[in-house]
Amino acid sequence: MKQAAGAFIAGAASRLLPPSIPFRFFGAAVAYHLLAWIALFAGAQSVPHFAGGLGWPLAALHLVTLGVLVMTAIGASLQLLPVATRQPVRSQRGPAMIWWLYTPGVAAVALGMGLPAPRLLAGGAVAVVAALGGYALLLARNLVGAKGMPVVVAHGWAALGSLVVVLATALSLACAYLGFSGFGRGMELSLHVTFAAYGFMGLLALGLSYILVPMFALSAAPDERRAWISLTLAVTALLLSAAASSGIAQQPLRMAAIGSGTVAVALHLRLMSVALKTGMRRELGRSFTLVRIAWSLLVVSLVAALGVAMDAPVSGMATLFGILLIGGWLLTFLVGILQRIMPFLASMHAAPSKRLPPTPSSLTAQRPLAIHFVCHLAALALLALAVVTGSEKVASVGALVGCVGAAAFACFFLIVLTRMSAPDLKVGRRQASAG
Amino acid sequence: MNASAPDAPQAQGKRWVEADGVHIDVRGLPPPVPLVAILELVESIGDATPVIVHHERDPQMLYPELAEIGWRAARIDGAPGEVRLKLERVR
Repeated sequence: MKQAAGAFIAGAASRLLPPSIPFRFFGAAVAYHLLAWIALFAGAQSVPHFAGGLGWPLAALHLVTLGVLVMTAIGASLQLLPVATRQPVRSQRGPAMIWWLYTPGVAAVALGMGLPAPRLLAGGAVAVVAALGGYALLLARNLVGAKGMPVVVAHGWAALGSLVVVLATALSLACAYLGFSGFGRGMELSLHVTFAAYGFMGLLALGLSYILVPMFALSAAPDERRAWISLTLAVTALLLSAAASSGIAQQPLRMAAIGSGTVAVALHLRLMSVALKTGMRRELGRSFTLVRIAWSLLVVSLVAALGVAMDAPVSGMATLFGILLIGGWLLTFLVGILQRIMPFLASMHAAPSKRLPPTPSSLTAQRPLAIHFVCHLAALALLALAVVTGSEKVASVGALVGCVGAAAFACFFLIVLTRMSAPDLKVGRRQASAG
Repeated sequence: MNASAPDAPQAQGKRWVEADGVHIDVRGLPPPVPLVAILELVESIGDATPVIVHHERDPQMLYPELAEIGWRAARIDGAPGEVRLKLERVR
């Protein structure tokens, strides 16, 4: 008996979700990426002095965090974890239902913030919390059934714990706009920002990196003991930060949290550096240039966090911290990884063909990615400059450049989809199913 | 073809040569070691010699990498609980 490799990939015991599921999350993330920059352009006059509160800058921030970062994290983790931890996909309907609840929920949250319309915001927040609650259950089920990769699984659990804090504080903050009082806006906001960016998203990014970076660099698995130490220090940093948010010994606890987080990040980056240096594939292209820049900006974000904790006399320090953390670290890392994952997954899904499946490189359009690369970095630099100089014009130009970059990234995504569903591939699929 | 001698211990996976090609057994190795070991072997082969992979699971992340270097995989009969693949150069 001899059968095409992909034929059994598509079998009932497959660990791959149908391509429509991860790609609908990626597609929504790509659309929200563009909308985030448009929202930022609409609120550019408030960007240099942004300190929270309803309006288009807050909408742009949540279009990035919920619309791009979390949206991609859901699609990527639901697809990659079963593959990496050797278990079958248990539910296809669950991820699809989450998408249908989450995607309009994010739109309602963003519109509610931007217009502003607190009732719309609260309705959207309920949908988002319900969808993320469903995602948390799916993720927990994946983690419970995981075989191997204990350190990746532990990152998943820590991210899940952070998600619970993020959801609780998000609901409370949204309700505050309707007049309900919670535990105090300052404490909730501090917990929300820290556990969303460094906790949920940050730990997912670090954990999935232990799968993705060695896979793309074709290197051995990173040293597990050091990865465990890095995770322990990262979780300690989050707990110290949570204690500081309660108001007890605020400054010393925050500084201890930043110290612990910095050592955690240093250990992680050392492991990533070893993977990249020892891998069979040394040339990882533009995508990993973005990843390397993101890693540098993660470190810089911790320096900025120290500046915020010490009340450094720098104008716009908190806003600058936000740009470095969300735009510089998380968004840059994500677009770097995403431009590699999407063609790779598209090729994996194309494998049922009896012919040679399309290569990831043949599915990748380099020109839009080159435009995005320049625009993304220029936009972030311009936004940082706008905050430092207090210039609304520079913020507008930065947002506009970001729009061009996001549009180019959307072109790249559409080209992957078009090439993935090219007629010759469909013929191959029909042959595979008939064979 | 410059694969190693039969039963020579390798850093990553056990390799040996039979009439049907160069075999590599990556069972029991944690990810991404099997992926790296298989690609290392495939890239070391300069001619059309097939590679027979003995795996404990379907190596889904291998297929795009193989396609990128002009190889393809087909499943063949193996022992119960084993996923056995025949890798062949196609260009």
